[in-house]
Order: sequence, then C-alpha cells, then structure tokens
Amino acid sequence: MSTVPLSRPGRPALMSRALRLTPVAVTAVLLLGLWQSVVVLFDVPVFIMPSPVMIAEAFQQDFGTIMSASRSTVESVLLGLVLGSLGGVAVALVVSRFPRMSGPVLNTAVLVNCAPIVALAPIFNNWFGVTSMLSKAGVAAVMVFFPVFVNTTRGLLQIAPLHVEIMESLAARPRQVALLLRLPNALPFIFNALKLGTTLAVIGVIVSEYFGGSTEALGVYIAYQAALPRFDYAWAGILVSGALGLAMFGVVTLLERFLMPWHESLHEEES
Amino acid sequence: MTATNISASPRPPAAREEQADPATLRGRGRGGALARRLVDPLGALLVVVVLAGLWEGYKALGRAVDDRILGIGLPVATDDLSMPHLWTIFGSLTAPARAGDPTSLAVYLIGETTVTLREALYGLTAGSLLGLALAVLFLHLAPVSRGLMPWLVASQTVPLVAIAPMIVIWGGKAGLQPWVAVTGIAAYLAFFPVTINSLRGLKSPPKVQLEFMRSVGAGRARVLWSLRFPAALPYVFAGLRLAATASVVGAIVGELSAGTGRGIGRAILTSAYYYSNGPEKLYAAVLVAAIAGILFVQVLSLLERFALRNRHAR
Amino acid sequence: MAEHAIISVRGVDKVFNSGSDRAVTALQDIDLTIGRGEFISLLGPSGCGKSTLLRVMADLTGPTSGTVTVNGKTPGAARADRDYGMVFQQAGLFEWRNVLRNVELPLQVAGVKKEVHRAKALEMLELVRLSDFAGHYPWQLSGGMQQRVAIARALSADPEILFMDEPLGALDEMNRERLQGELLRIWGDTRTTVVFVTHSISEAVFLSSRVVVMSARPGRVAACIDVDLPHPRTAETRTTPEFFEKVKEVRQALHGAPSEQAAA
Repeated sequence: MSTVPLSRPGRPALMSRALRLTPVAVTAVLLLGLWQSVVVLFDVPVFIMPSPVMIAEAFQQDFGTIMSASRSTVESVLLGLVLGSLGGVAVALVVSRFPRMSGPVLNTAVLVNCAPIVALAPIFNNWFGVTSMLSKAGVAAVMVFFPVFVNTTRGLLQIAPLHVEIMESLAARPRQVALLLRLPNALPFIFNALKLGTTLAVIGVIVSEYFGGSTEALGVYIAYQAALPRFDYAWAGILVSGALGLAMFGVVTLLERFLMPWHESLHEEES
Repeated sequence: MTATNISASPRPPAAREEQADPATLRGRGRGGALARRLVDPLGALLVVVVLAGLWEGYKALGRAVDDRILGIGLPVATDDLSMPHLWTIFGSLTAPARAGDPTSLAVYLIGETTVTLREALYGLTAGSLLGLALAVLFLHLAPVSRGLMPWLVASQTVPLVAIAPMIVIWGGKAGLQPWVAVTGIAAYLAFFPVTINSLRGLKSPPKVQLEFMRSVGAGRARVLWSLRFPAALPYVFAGLRLAATASVVGAIVGELSAGTGRGIGRAILTSAYYYSNGPEKLYAAVLVAAIAGILFVQVLSLLERFALRNRHAR
Repeated sequence: MAEHAIISVRGVDKVFNSGSDRAVTALQDIDLTIGRGEFISLLGPSGCGKSTLLRVMADLTGPTSGTVTVNGKTPGAARADRDYGMVFQQAGLFEWRNVLRNVELPLQVAGVKKEVHRAKALEMLELVRLSDFAGHYPWQLSGGMQQRVAIARALSADPEILFMDEPLGALDEMNRERLQGELLRIWGDTRTTVVFVTHSISEAVFLSSRVVVMSARPGRVAACIDVDLPHPRTAETRTTPEFFEKVKEVRQALHGAPSEQAAA
C-alpha cells in the first residue's frame, strides 16, 4: 500500500480485458481440439477417454436424469455451504471477543481441519438418516466450517495497528471499531474461505453420496455409470459436477466483487 | 478469478508475520515464547475436553428428556446406537476386531491406517514433485501460465473426487494394483496447492534481490537455485501442508471407490455397513482416521520447522 | 500568551518499561505551552521523544508523571470530545472505503447525521483539492494524495487542534514541498492549531510559527525558536536570506544539544 505508483488507470478498458481472456479461450479450444483429434486419430478406447463429442452426445441423451440427479446434489451443497459458513462466521465472532483464547482455539481448529472430515459421512448418515438431505449437507457444512471459522477469526483479529490507533484517536466505541474496522477487514478473509468452501462443499456432498442414500444424486450417478461401464455417461456427469463447482465459485467471486469493489487492486496486481 | 485465492487460507508464515495483531506482537518477548509453547497444547487439550463434555452432556440431556425439548425433537437422537458413550468407543479399541480373531480393533485399524498413509505419502510425494515442476514451468513460460492457469484453477473447483471412480477403473484396466490408482488420486488432489503456493513463493523475491543477482551476472538457473528456491521455501511448505491433508482425503476417497483392497477408508465403509452390530466401531475407525490425518500433517510441520529454523523467530 | 493557551504540558515524564531493568526514559520534565492558532513544530533526532510527546497530548499514551491540558480539559476528555484531528506518518486510509467515505469516518464515528457529513466531507475534499477523486479507492491514489486525504479526514470534524506525526516523512522531496505549501494554506484557511512532528529542519522552519527543538536520551526541550517569516510563505521564501538565517539558528540549537554527540 505504501508503494503505489503515482497514478493507476481506473477500470481496465474492455479491449484489454478481452485481450487478457484470449489466451484462456485459445487454450480451451486447443485442448478440446487436441483431445478430440487424439481420441479419433489413435482410436483411444472409450474406457480410457471418450471424445468430447461422445460426451456431449451422452449428456444430451441422459439430460433429464443428469439434471434431476444434479438438483438434489446442488440443494445439499447449497445447504451445506450456508450452514457451514454461517456457523463459521458466528463462532468466529464469539471467539474473536476473547483474543486470549482465540490462539489455542484457532490452532486446534487448524489441527482438526487436517483430519479427513469426509470420514464423518457414515456417521451423519446414521444420525440424520441415509436419505435425508441433512446427512449430505452436514458433511459439507463441517468441511466448510473450518476454513471459514479460521479465516474469519484471523480477519477480525489481524488489524493494522495504525488503523486501531486511528479509531482510538477518534474516540470510537468498541462497537464502532467492530463494525467499521474489524468486519470490513475480515471480508477478504471470509471470501477466500468461501471460495475454498464452495469446492469443499461439493466434495463433501459427493463423497457422502458414495456412502449411500438416494440414488438420485450426481455422485451416485457417476459411480454407477462408471461401473456399468458407460464411460461417456460417467464423464458427462463428471463434467456437470465440474460446471457446478465452477458456477458456485463464479457466484462467490461475483459476490465478492460486488461487496468489495475496493479489491480490484488485488485482481489487478496478480494478473 | 485469481489462482491464489484458492490457497489463501493458511498463509505462509512470512506473510502471516507482516500484520500480526498488536496483542500477539506485544507478547513476543522471550518469556512469551515459552508461555505460548505451553499454552497451545493446554488450549488444545481444553478444547478437546470441552468437546467431549458437549458430547456426553448432549447425550445425557437427550436421555433425560427423551430426545424432545418443548415438543421439538433433538436434531440427533441420543440413544446408544446413534451416540455411543465415549468410553464405549475407546473400550472397543481394545476389544477383538472380529469374533474369533485375537487382533484388537486398535491394531487392526492402525494396520489399515498405515496402508492409507502409505498411499497418501506416495501420492503426496508424486503430487508435490509434479506441483513444483509445474510452478517452475509457469514461472519461466508466462504465456503458458496465462493460458493454462485459469483452467488449472477451474479444474480445482471441479470436485476431483468425482473422477475417483474413473481413475480406479483406468488403473484396473491397465492391470495395476488398486493402491496405485488410489495413490494417483491422492497425487491428483495434492499437486495443486503445491503449484499455486510454490509459484507465489518463486515470485516472492523483491526486485532488489533479483536485480542484485543480475548485477553479479547470475544466470537463470543460478537465480532459481540461489534465490528463488530458498525464498519460496516457506510458501512451498504452506502448500505442502494443504497438500498433505488433501492427499489423505484423496487416499480415503480412492479406497471407497476402489471396491476391494485395504485401508482405513475401506474399514470405515465396512464398519458403516455393520453399524447396527457395533456403532462404536465406526466411531473408533473415524477417530483413528482423524488422528492419523492430523499426525500426518504434524510430521510435515516438524519437517518445516526444522527446514525453516533460521528464518523467523517463531 | 497564557490566556490564549490551548495546550499546556507541565513537568511531563514518560518512562517505558518502568520498573524493569530495560526502563527507558523517553521524556523528562517537559514544559510546553502552545497558543491558540499557533503552528508548532517538534523537531529533533530520532529517539528524542517528539512522537511520544505528541501521543501524550493526543491521549494515545499516558504520561508517567506530570499534567497535560488540552483545550482546557484532560487529553482523554479532549479525545472523547473530538477536539483534535490526527495525521500519522502513513495515511492509514481504510482500503475498503473510497476517498469520500474515508473523510467521512470521523463524522460517522461522532454520530453526525448522514446528510450533514456528506456535505462536510465534500467541503474538506475541496480544501485539499481532491474533489475529483471522491469516488476513488485508496489504492488508486499516489502517496501524496493519500496523505492529503488523511489531512482532510483529520480536519473533517472541525477539530480545534491538528496533531501531525511526521505526516510528510514518507514522501519524496518534490511532493513534500508541494504539500508543505498546501498545509500552510489550509492552516491559514481553518485557523486550526497545528502540532507538527518532524526531523527536517527546513520543513520545521518553513511551516512553523515556533520550532520546539528537542534533544534525545532523555527527551527534553532544548530550545524554542520563534519563526517570524512573513506570510504567505511561498517557494521564494525558501531562497530568502531570512529563511537561511533561521535554518542556521535552528541547526545550531539542534547541534548544541548534547544528544547529538551521544547519538553519534
């Protein structure tokens, strides 16, 4: 922040943004073309890699099934994401009230987060019922909870001493410090955790689905098609799950841009 | 959509030091270090005790009110089938794993866990090497990195575990042992955090240092070896810690898809299947898996502390 | 001058780590009276306690002994009444607020109505000539502009006193001189009392109506030098013999201070 160049351009022009996206698009087209031609030229068997065209066809054919399977998965993912992040932020708000305790609590949370949380899936199946959405969402929620909790707490506590002093010189009340300084300071931390959380939530739900429950679920669909074996269909399912993760990631990113317009600085610097 | 966002949650220590909160800064004296070393395990112990208390307390409450408060059912039933007593769970560890088999459950679970950890370790090693290599590649080939990086990020928002069944089938068709496929899944999950963090670390040396290296006529390889790698080390370790957790998850998920074979993931699946015959066995298995995962990462942290012992006074 | 005094410091000591073997006396027996409307510079080598003295006046730290009166009250009461605004060496703008909302911060904390503080903040931006940048975020501004925003922020609640802790220290010479001119203009427009910490002799002479020279280890007031250069002071002022004469006088006072040999 101290070494900002004299003047920076404002919003990047549309042109430069388009230019920046070019290599990305080119790579995509290249990869797809390469994939298709390798599969066709070398006659790659389906079980190794179906061609993009085959996958597209499978997707078209099984569209209804895939969509209804995705729907229940998406619902669990969203529920888990919401529960986990609300819980994480709430606990962080409480813990950050006691800075003395927050160190050990954070360390313990980091430690627990090293445990494979997906292993909770069968336990939650027994608690909430195999067919209940809550058993899938619960695993996702626990997986989301930890990064959100840890990051939010850090964001609430890691405040620039100068900012604290400024608020002090303004005779700000603790409530004002929390609202005007700590919370906005924590926002980028929270969003980083949420981005991580979207991926984790999808993983959590899909793994829980492997442990049983309604067959109308994306994870089950993929495993089932792969076992049949109908690999083009399995791959269609995999790609849909990918699109799902990507879409959620995108929504969180958009939300971030909307809620934190000042953070364009970071986007600029890292591109 | 920047790549670094994905990995940002545990920051590398170098970055963390920059804006520590004033309270911890003040406690950074010599005496503070010792006190903190004691406070951490004590705090962790306290947290564990509190959690255990919550478990038994909730169970006792549920039993007392018959799982209903003001006519509303508790979210989780508290009977011994849903929530066995903690002592039942720990007790089951010393009991035989199977009828007619003298091996205790603990020995059996630890045996399965070592299988999983071995898969995770192989996967972590392979994934980290790949991740490091990619980072170096991206560093030197900017156009490749600009084209490929967003897709790499996208690939991580894809639930990789969804591909697990496919990888297992690939391995099977190629005539490989199931554990090889499981290792592959672990590696696949592990490489990304290493790539991202290493790349950030390799880019971390300030301009002054790079210009100094150029002024003494150091070539690319020399800059990489003498400046960029050492500078990247804290970042690499931060990535490795994430990767280690991911590799254990990958190994467990891989075992679930692998159908046959051994490992703690399998053990969990089996005990989930026979849940009504002994719920405590599932809890014991999950507990062992959790502790194993934590220890796995802790070993890496020790390694990190040793490798970075001369960096920051931590 | 006494009846116009806005800040008075009487026998102030400040000892850090007092009682331990690492005790450091930062300030010893400081007496200082600052009149309403003055522009005072606290000048001295690093470690002379000039920033500490400022922070004692601003109630960001307490004196170990002695009394401080700010605007007729204790420093704590003055802080609570928002009698002063403060500018630090780093602008310390909140990066999540745009320029306008940064300037509004003190008013918002003071509980001023929104309509009122919007207008007031715009007026302040006018004062520091940054009206065109109201919607910009801090990262889009240069260091000098950020510091001007910080000055606008400090002045937005109409404080009677402006405390400035080496506010121009992080800027390059060109920007520094430009901002010094701006600062004098703002001081002239607002008639605020300014207490300005610096380690630059020429800066202190150019800006101040009085320079308080401090010496280090322990921090003491070594000399008070009135600067009667005529206003408005401009770039030409810096080239006049009177200016050089004053700089020389202050330099001698500074070098005469025993701290200089001790510090070297």
